Amino acid sequence: MSMILPGPAPELTVGRQGHYAGAVSRLVAFGADVGASWGLYLLGVALFNAAYKLVTGSSYNVSNHQALAVSVLVVWEFLYYSYQWAVGGRTIGMAVFGLQVVTTEGGPIGARQAVLRTLGLALSVAFFWFAFWGIIFQRERRALADFIAGTAVVYSWDARAARLRWMARAEDQPHGAVEHRLEQAQRFEPETDKTS
Amino acid sequence: MSPNPLGARMEQLAQALAERIVPMVIEAIDIDALIDRVDIDKVVSRVDVDKVISKVDVDKIIDRVDVEKVIERVDVEKIIDRVDINAIVEKLDIDALVEQTELGSIIARSTTGILTEILDVIRAQGVGLDDFIFRWANRLTGRRRKVADWPVGPPLLVGPKAAPAS
Repeated sequence: MSMILPGPAPELTVGRQGHYAGAVSRLVAFGADVGASWGLYLLGVALFNAAYKLVTGSSYNVSNHQALAVSVLVVWEFLYYSYQWAVGGRTIGMAVFGLQVVTTEGGPIGARQAVLRTLGLALSVAFFWFAFWGIIFQRERRALADFIAGTAVVYSWDARAARLRWMARAEDQPHGAVEHRLEQAQRFEPETDKTS
Repeated sequence: MSPNPLGARMEQLAQALAERIVPMVIEAIDIDALIDRVDIDKVVSRVDVDKVISKVDVDKIIDRVDVEKVIERVDVEKIIDRVDINAIVEKLDIDALVEQTELGSIIARSTTGILTEILDVIRAQGVGLDDFIFRWANRLTGRRRKVADWPVGPPLLVGPKAAPAS
């Protein structure tokens, strides 16, 4: 039996693609990235320890060597963010929550911008209280990292497909429910549909 | 030729005269002026087109046409190149298509899963919360009117109208 979730309004999906992303989405995506990168780091350390024990017969735990552990973690975090931004303009967390880093003009970012943004993010984390205020108060919702790298963050997921999925789900429901959903959809016609 | 010798000579004379006069007359006629004076509409209106068509054996004409040869001579790729597929696709009302056909169910069956649907909802909820925070920030700073002129996205993604004025 499949569960039917309430469909997202088109004004929050299709009509928002390419718009500057707001604070909540970005914060949640960042949280997911912190979790993902930390989880992958722990997995890597565990695999290394196991491999070391398998090859040498003696145990070696990176976590016991604090300086090394911190260094490896810093390098890993740097690679995690800069590589993913350079390749696709998004990290795992950003992909899950439908966000993408683009240039201020809206084009794809390059490796240099990805590296600068990673360094900017490190600075932002160090000076948390003011570095992220730009997301809420700046006109293009750019944080310190965005200013350093010349980037912006936009909503970017396949919202059209999401809407079709939702409408297709509505087809499988009783007639009254379908009508209700279609009425809801018409009430929230996306901006792009209005202008075209 | 006439058996009467006088008659024969007269015929020759008439023939010779005609050969000299006719070209001169034709040269003297202004064909364009003549055509201008012809009321083509009147001529056409007198033609019984139905009668003409009824006399034409269309089947016979079609039988004589080598369709295969015609098709072979048509450059289909050139025709396709001239068709603006994007314009056609833009005209399609995808929503109506999904509503009125089983396309939606096919899409749902092929792409959807509970995780995908949850993600759709979470993303939309995130956008809603973003708006909520942004509205409250505007209230706190008293910049509601000013924000209306702010860009909604980068120019390449939302078009120059909604993009920042640089």
